[in-house]
Amino acid sequence: MRLPRLVRTTPFRLTLLFLGLFAAGAGLFLGYIYIATVGEAARAADAAIQREASSLEAVYDSGGFAALNEAVIERSSSTRGFLYLVMGRDGQPVSGDVAASPIKDLPKGGTRSWASFSLTEPDADGAMVKSAARGMIERLSGGEYLFVGDDVGEAQGYVVKIVNALWGAAALVIVLGLAGGVLVARDVSRNMSALTDVINAARLGDLEARAKVRGAGDELDELANGLNDMLDRLNRSIAGLRHAGDAIAHDLRSPLTRLRARMEAALLDAEAGRGDPVAALRQALDDADGVLRTFGAVLAIARLEAAASAPDQSLFDPAEAAADVAELYEPVSEERGLDFAAELADGLSVRGNREFVAQAIANLLDNAIKYTPTGGAVMLRVRRRASGDVEVSVTDTGPGVPEGDRARVVERFVRLENSRNAPGAGLGLSLVAAVARVHGGRLELDEGPGAVDGQGPGLRVALVLPSA
Amino acid sequence: MRLLVVEDDAEAAGAMVRCLGEEGHECVVASDGEAGLRAAGAGRFDVMVVDRMLPKRDGVSMVQMLRKEGDQTPVLFLSALGEINHRVEGLQAGGDDYLVKPYAIAELVARVEALARRRETGSVQTLLRVGDLEMDLIGREVRRQGREIDLQPREFQLLEFLMRHAGQSVTRTMLLERVWEYHFDPQTNVIDVHISRLRSKIDKGFDRAMLTTVRGAGYRLDA
Repeated sequence: MRLPRLVRTTPFRLTLLFLGLFAAGAGLFLGYIYIATVGEAARAADAAIQREASSLEAVYDSGGFAALNEAVIERSSSTRGFLYLVMGRDGQPVSGDVAASPIKDLPKGGTRSWASFSLTEPDADGAMVKSAARGMIERLSGGEYLFVGDDVGEAQGYVVKIVNALWGAAALVIVLGLAGGVLVARDVSRNMSALTDVINAARLGDLEARAKVRGAGDELDELANGLNDMLDRLNRSIAGLRHAGDAIAHDLRSPLTRLRARMEAALLDAEAGRGDPVAALRQALDDADGVLRTFGAVLAIARLEAAASAPDQSLFDPAEAAADVAELYEPVSEERGLDFAAELADGLSVRGNREFVAQAIANLLDNAIKYTPTGGAVMLRVRRRASGDVEVSVTDTGPGVPEGDRARVVERFVRLENSRNAPGAGLGLSLVAAVARVHGGRLELDEGPGAVDGQGPGLRVALVLPSA
Repeated sequence: MRLLVVEDDAEAAGAMVRCLGEEGHECVVASDGEAGLRAAGAGRFDVMVVDRMLPKRDGVSMVQMLRKEGDQTPVLFLSALGEINHRVEGLQAGGDDYLVKPYAIAELVARVEALARRRETGSVQTLLRVGDLEMDLIGREVRRQGREIDLQPREFQLLEFLMRHAGQSVTRTMLLERVWEYHFDPQTNVIDVHISRLRSKIDKGFDRAMLTTVRGAGYRLDA
């Protein structure tokens, strides 16, 4: 069963295809050689025969039949030469070195008729050898016939040898090609089945299996790299989902537990006719609202993450959008004793969902205002980068995010230890990152302006969007 | 006010009727889209509260039908789907406002009352007056007791909205949607800070505060 499977592999089929093409090419090549050599030899022989016949004809014309006979007898006796036959008007041989004309049909008029035939002659060792020959016969003006022929077997013999050698080589090439094809097919199919094994493992739920990259840098390695990368991403997103699920459960569990306990206590109090059930219910409502908010934010992020691109896109000026959000947050910033400034470039344009971009900017400002201590500064900047991208950045002078945590804070529900007490669910940056992604942009976190006046080093968060 | 509530969830409809009833509004309840169409045809209502997802005929198609028949009663859509495109879809179908479930009853009441009010003020006004507070919409001037009050453009819009809905509670979300045109949750109570700025401009130095906070609902401007 090994061979049929091998035969089905792509490399083997390709090998067969190329061998077929090669054989067809070789056939054409050999045919050309044959025509060019054998044909040429035949033409050269015909020309020589023609010349010989003409010279004999000249002898006949000047000296008559007797002179022709004499010349033929003389020429027949030379070792290497033409084949001659002179026949009388009745077609009976008169002189020459062949017993009978190989051309049976005697021409009627002054035309020369040609034929190819085979000749059996003793070779140097005396053995009888068949060889190819050409000849012509003509009717002389006196009614007699003259046949002149020549052995072309020698020239053709070489060509036949060359052609046979080439056929042999072609056969060798085909055999070697098939063997090579089998080897390549086995090698490739072994590598491919390693990839298939990984895919099958993943299909059965094992996302830890990875394809081996051989380091050859070929397309199989590329495929293996792509497969591994895809599995990594899949693994990460599944881990992300699991994490989000756990985090939602965790984040919703504590307020829900609190809500339940509070309502139970209020019920007991109310039954006993003490306490303030109204205050307890108010608190319960606040708790429920908190849960709903978190839920809404998670839902919004999940929807964005599931979307390929932002819905309801339009062309808008990002500086204008940023100015509107800044106007919304500026009083809050002032109330918190922060120095708020905005630096907005003119004439920029991006394509996207204005509402989502505004929400992303709002989240960035919200974070900056929340985490920057009184006396600090928050700076909103919209500008075009040298790369042409549009950057919307918010820089603050708060405690910043340590470099090692920057990738992590973008994840859902991740809140750094020192911000546990600030309000929020740790979803703000996740939403910004999701907004960046559905706009074909990205989110960048850097250090702020550094440590100044006991504050800092600060954080600079940039939403980078492709320019429209 | 007479309200038509088209909602298939009997419990939700019951809670709504009770709370709106406490505010002095009379409610008629229909539990599916076809019943909603019949009820709308049978009586005159000030506002209709329509759930998007209804048996027999969904809310969007029901409102489209009513609009085609020339019924211009303001419609508040209710939906469990909070996505922007659903809101846009609802508004395009002829809805006037959109509220996502679950909602605070105060939010529902405020929006219903705002919708009814919007219908009353059909003519174009150039001057708004609430008690001793005056707003000249053409000259962009605001005076209280004849004293000119200097407002930023956004504060002017905010006050205009409050004056147009004077005597009613308006929620933070309504302000964010109508004055800033944002439909997301800004987490920090940015609106409170804007209101307190506005309050310091229109109420500071006067004997009586016009702009008050309504617990659990939002704000109200009273004459």
